[in-house]
Amino acid sequence: MATAPEKIDAAFYDELRRHYSEEEIVELGAFIGFNVGYHTFFGTLKFYPMFAPDGRLVSQEESARIYGAAPVSLAAAESA
Amino acid sequence: MTHVEPLAPEQITDPALRELIARCEQLGVPDALFPRILARVPAYAKALLRAMLMSHAEGNVDHRLKEIVRVQLARFAGDPYFSRLRSRRALEAGLDEATIDAGSGDYDDDPRFSEAEKLALRYADQMYLDPGKVDAAFYDELKKHYSEAQIMELGAFIALHYGMQIFMRTLDASQPGSRSVGAPR
Repeated sequence: MATAPEKIDAAFYDELRRHYSEEEIVELGAFIGFNVGYHTFFGTLKFYPMFAPDGRLVSQEESARIYGAAPVSLAAAESA
Repeated sequence: MTHVEPLAPEQITDPALRELIARCEQLGVPDALFPRILARVPAYAKALLRAMLMSHAEGNVDHRLKEIVRVQLARFAGDPYFSRLRSRRALEAGLDEATIDAGSGDYDDDPRFSEAEKLALRYADQMYLDPGKVDAAFYDELKKHYSEAQIMELGAFIALHYGMQIFMRTLDASQPGSRSVGAPR
């Protein structure tokens, strides 16, 4: 939906129906659309989480150093 | 019809949702089709329709400007449904089709737009075309013409409406029969 919406066609929706109800498809589609819209907007605002992974309230500069471009959860998963 | 069938009006029994759909139809954006698809998930439908109506028709940024921005975004998203809807309120306030088209074209050289309006159009234009250009310098430029509250209002409006347009694009409301719910042409 974000990068190639033309590929989300009738056949794709038929495939979705093999796994999800109509209600779940609408729920997923609205959720994805919402996130496509908002995360691009958030990205332009250049803000980072207010709290460090250990729970400390940190400045945006420190938060940017801590979190960088990769999610902390991903880094934790990779080191496990 | 669309890839996900809208509910029939009689299947929508939640009074709050019915009232929101009536408000959408009154404004003209969205018409009844998108809300009746969303109505399959009533809690989502109520939250999203409230937010769409509020971000478009309320606030402190000119509703006509937001309507021009909205159509520009819908055309960029490639969504025929939202592209062809028009806010009745914006039209009643004097917005015409030529100005809407100009907002999707070479607006930077168009004398009908003020510098503030051109900047709002560029904000939407660049947000999904080249978000890297919406940087600190761009926000500084926005702040010369808009308050922080107005910038958030515009940004949130752009994000929500683009997100719903890109979702609706995939549902393909361009198919025959998709316009059976009385949308304006």
